[in-house]
Amino acid sequence: MKKAVMVIVAVIGLIGGTYLADRATRVRHRLPAQEMNSSIGKPAPDLTLKDLDGRDVSLAQYKGKVVLVNFWATWCDPCRGEIPELIELQQKYSARGFTVLGLAMDDEGRSVVAPFVQKERFDVKGSQVLMNYPILIGDDAAAAKFGGLFGYPTTIVISRDAKQVTRIAGAISYERISKIIESQL
Amino acid sequence: MAKLCGLFLSVFAALHATPAQTPSGRDVVSPTAYSSLDPVARGANFELAVVLKIRNGFHVNAREASEDYLIPTELRVEAPAGFKAGAVFYPKGELRTFTFSKKPLNVYQDTVILRVPVTSLANAPLGAQHIPLKLRYQACSQEICLPPVTLNVDAAVNIAASAKSSRPVRPELFPKQ
Repeated sequence: MKKAVMVIVAVIGLIGGTYLADRATRVRHRLPAQEMNSSIGKPAPDLTLKDLDGRDVSLAQYKGKVVLVNFWATWCDPCRGEIPELIELQQKYSARGFTVLGLAMDDEGRSVVAPFVQKERFDVKGSQVLMNYPILIGDDAAAAKFGGLFGYPTTIVISRDAKQVTRIAGAISYERISKIIESQL
Repeated sequence: MAKLCGLFLSVFAALHATPAQTPSGRDVVSPTAYSSLDPVARGANFELAVVLKIRNGFHVNAREASEDYLIPTELRVEAPAGFKAGAVFYPKGELRTFTFSKKPLNVYQDTVILRVPVTSLANAPLGAQHIPLKLRYQACSQEICLPPVTLNVDAAVNIAASAKSSRPVRPELFPKQ
């Protein structure tokens, strides 16, 4: 009986120790965003949405480019916070076959997104600039086609051959996302 | 021995529980409505308190949101026939700094109590009644924001013909009684 108790206590101690060591060393807890790799390698969904002028735009039109799909909303503070970095990425990589594609998820759609995009300026390296990448009006169906979202912002990078390369829930790290984009260009 | 095995399994399950995943916006706030009087006499003024229990690790924008573009917390009373509702009292928020925001934001966290004055009119129907409320909020964690949601909240009140048996209840929610 005593032996059994000792064995159980030892096993509990071992499991507890492993758990605490695992928690203490997990990188995920130190990152501002969660990188979700379950969709890596999956094809980009077949998706057609309206742009701010009411024209249909399909994701397939961007095949051959590296596309950073960014789900965002005008009311979302972390989404607004990363717009300057998205503008910078567009400035830096668009000539090399890259684009950011913003999918605005505001319930009110174009009526609030269009004025925002037309008027709101962001500080990029000391200059006040407008959003310089295409914005489409997203919806729940679009999010579902990407396997559903935890929330906003959510960023998905799609390769030139239309495969999902990475998916980040939460604000992006400029350095990390730059490395991912460069690896695809 | 069986007890020891049970203990072992409990500890194992607790240690290896899956970390909480990002919930749906609807699951971030749990609202419950309470009446200040029970029963409420016809013609009496009373209050409803809506207690918002906000999930750990999340916040919602306060009524006085820090920026115009943020979606504030809002409670609407859809007073049925026989009831008249006044303006909702929202508590002050707390200024908190988040990793995604340069400025502190005025938010609600943990438990928040919203109050609304209600009058039971002379023609209020007697017995168990329900006053529907709608709570709208938008929640974020330190990392991610969830879409705004509107929850239906039901305030149950018991209406009596006279004030004889009416008593104040839940003084912890209605300190001015």
